[in-house]
Amino acid sequence: MLEIRNLDKHFGGLAAVSDLDLDVSQGEIFGLIGPNGAGKTTVLNMIGGAFFPTRGKVIFKGEDITRFPPYRRAQRGIARVFQRNVLFRSFTVMENLLAGFHLHSRKSTTEIFYKNATARNQERVEHEKTMEILKFVGLSEQTDELAINLPHGNQRALCLAVALATEPELLLLDEPLTGMNAEEIATMMGMIRALKDERGITSIVVEHNIRAVIGLCDRAVVLDYGRKIAEGSPKEVVENPEVIEAYLGAEQDAI
Amino acid sequence: MDLPAQVWLQAVANGFAIGWLYVLMALGLTFMLSMMGILQLAHGEIYMIGAYIVYYLSVPWGLDLYAAVFLSMVIMAVLGLFLEKFLFRPVQGQILPPIIVSIGLTLILTSGAVVGFGLFERSIPRLAHGSFEFLGSAVPKDRIIAVVFAVALLLLVYLFLKRSRYGQAMVASAQNRESAFLRGIDPNQMSRLAFLIACALAAAGGALAGSILELTPFMGTQPLVKGVVIIVLGGMGSLLGATVGGIILGLLDGVLPVIFSPVISSVAPLIIVIIVLLVRPQGLFGHE
Amino acid sequence: MNRNRLIDISSIAALVIILFLVPVLIKNVYWVSVLALVGINILLASSLRTIKLLDHISLGHVGFTLIGAYGSALLVMKVGLPFWAALVIAGLMAGVLALALGYPFLKVKGMYFAILTLLTAETLRLVAYHWKSLTGGTYGLTHIPPPNPLTIPGVGTISFDAVHSYYYIILVVVLLSLFIIYKLEHSHVSFKWQAIRDADNLAQSVGINVAWYKMVNFAIACFFAGIAGALFAHYQHNLSADFTSRFGVWTSLYLLVYIVVGGEHKFAGPIIGTLIITLVSEFARPLGEYQPMIIGALAIFVVLLLPGGIIGLPNRFKLWYRKLLKQTRRVQGSV
Repeated sequence: MLEIRNLDKHFGGLAAVSDLDLDVSQGEIFGLIGPNGAGKTTVLNMIGGAFFPTRGKVIFKGEDITRFPPYRRAQRGIARVFQRNVLFRSFTVMENLLAGFHLHSRKSTTEIFYKNATARNQERVEHEKTMEILKFVGLSEQTDELAINLPHGNQRALCLAVALATEPELLLLDEPLTGMNAEEIATMMGMIRALKDERGITSIVVEHNIRAVIGLCDRAVVLDYGRKIAEGSPKEVVENPEVIEAYLGAEQDAI
Repeated sequence: MDLPAQVWLQAVANGFAIGWLYVLMALGLTFMLSMMGILQLAHGEIYMIGAYIVYYLSVPWGLDLYAAVFLSMVIMAVLGLFLEKFLFRPVQGQILPPIIVSIGLTLILTSGAVVGFGLFERSIPRLAHGSFEFLGSAVPKDRIIAVVFAVALLLLVYLFLKRSRYGQAMVASAQNRESAFLRGIDPNQMSRLAFLIACALAAAGGALAGSILELTPFMGTQPLVKGVVIIVLGGMGSLLGATVGGIILGLLDGVLPVIFSPVISSVAPLIIVIIVLLVRPQGLFGHE
Repeated sequence: MNRNRLIDISSIAALVIILFLVPVLIKNVYWVSVLALVGINILLASSLRTIKLLDHISLGHVGFTLIGAYGSALLVMKVGLPFWAALVIAGLMAGVLALALGYPFLKVKGMYFAILTLLTAETLRLVAYHWKSLTGGTYGLTHIPPPNPLTIPGVGTISFDAVHSYYYIILVVVLLSLFIIYKLEHSHVSFKWQAIRDADNLAQSVGINVAWYKMVNFAIACFFAGIAGALFAHYQHNLSADFTSRFGVWTSLYLLVYIVVGGEHKFAGPIIGTLIITLVSEFARPLGEYQPMIIGALAIFVVLLLPGGIIGLPNRFKLWYRKLLKQTRRVQGSV
């Protein structure tokens, strides 16, 4: 479904990503791991469209999307959940979701002045779809709560909900489990798995929590200094001596 | 382009002299912008009032011209502290309110000047009389003295920034306000210094300009616009940028009207800045 | 329709009726002309606020007013178009220019965008000031004719040479424009604008073409600036582009003052702000040179002490009153 070929990203003189090849198959949960600064978020940014690679290609469902702006990638079915809780701050939970439905609600110009029966109908349909997603992430009780008033875990769930509103085929999750307690982590992991099993949504997950990656991902790739150093099932990858070395090395640097 | 060398020389000399005056304004604007994030649109009025103070001190009161300039710089510096504390610090950090405050301040100062000083034009006595022989043409002495004075002031400021502790702190704050704060630099002190120096420099600029041009209550708007153009061109927050930008703009203002029509010479600098903003928003020397 | 909505609609209807009756009620030509200009300024301030909805500040709104003014005047005088067509086309000219400039301009950050717009407006003004053959250069454009008499079947012919008729033209056009702007602000379009303002990266991720929405916002706002300019041209009968004219930098800045004094967070804010400042200016007119000082002091007062503007006063009063009640209750309780 997603192919990355010869991806390079240079910031000034620094090579953040070098010559990366990746393949993600439809319906799998794909893990992207590695020590801090390995370039994982940079890769995700290039899949999501926040910036473009210095060299290389990003191909989604056979289409070269390397230079597409983010909104066009969203149109093609890629949704992104950002690392920090990026939400529409002045909107309620419900309104955040409605914004997420942008791609799938046809709104005409005349609606600015007068809402006819079709428009009102569509609003009802959107409302139902919203409630369905909110029930899935467990926020159906807080529809009128301002997004910024939610506790961290709920905000994370809302971020996921907004991404789901775009009816994506590929979900990009940037550290979805950070800052959560054990219960919230289990819930989130369950949701991501359910998305794959029930809706066939492919996910690329960038994560630090290795245990979660093992429990969640079908396949994983390890990056270190912008290069791929291992690929395979999570168990294989984690037991790979080079990978262990990379993480230890990073720890050493931190000390 | 078959203009005699004299005309060229005159144009360049004029441009050079004006350029240094612009730098005095631009440097002040840069300080206030980097320390407080505020675009002080009333700075032109500081320049104007500084000029009028020199006039009143030297003409009716008969004070020595240089003493008058010095006193005016002190007075405006004190006024700057007052403005910083009561008008600008409360609205620091936002974008629109400081603009409104400075607009209101401009209105008050300009109409105050009209009421207090009257609308008719007058001049500060010339800094020097006569002219210099240079490469076959006459360059007026007062322009040279104005440039020398301006450059001397700027060197003082430069020394302050390089050698004194407060100066170093200002440079650090100009580059990165947050990290400077984390290093223990007091932002309020920086703001005060910024306004103090900026207003003193503006007063000097006004005094120098007032002896070459005429004093009117509205003389501050053009230098302000030029100042804004310069700091954008040179890079907001860059002191080197303000200096270089000022000289470039001054030269453009001196030389372009000789070659081109009035339209082009007034429009060209603006278009250049627009292009720079679009291509390199942080200006020639800015860092972002 | 529920009761609140009924009250709102009927009070606005009453207001509109009163506005239509103003020239009949107030025989004073001077005040009618002041109100006419207020109408134009209200349209300018409200359209400027539309740009603020995206958290962008335009310091060059007068540039588009200039395009509308000169555009409409020249279309009528040199091309021979009727007033109403020229009005709309002039507005479109301003809007299209904004659309074109919007693409590069809106990519840059707040402060830089503001300066870009300022410089653009100044450039336009300087070009108009110096272009003798097109705009009369430093002498300006004079003898702009009034609209041709309008014949409404069944009602009669309305001719437009008196101030009163201008007042009505401005009233009708401004009311219609304000209606459109109001509806826009409460529509799905404005919803997207708010989303973009809150988090434009997230807006992109959910498929909103941020650049396009920003451009459309800017274009619509500047379209109305152009319309206001056209109204001004035919009302004033002559145009000049020198530094102190209506198309100078200061007018753009004044518009911002109208918005902030009135209150930038509500639709009616710029309207109230324009009215209040105009009224204060008019009543301060006998004070001559002190007039700008009073406006300046008012602006500083509101910005420092009344964030949210004058239109936020009822709310603040309510909150203050509520706090006062709580405190007195506490005192009573402890006594």
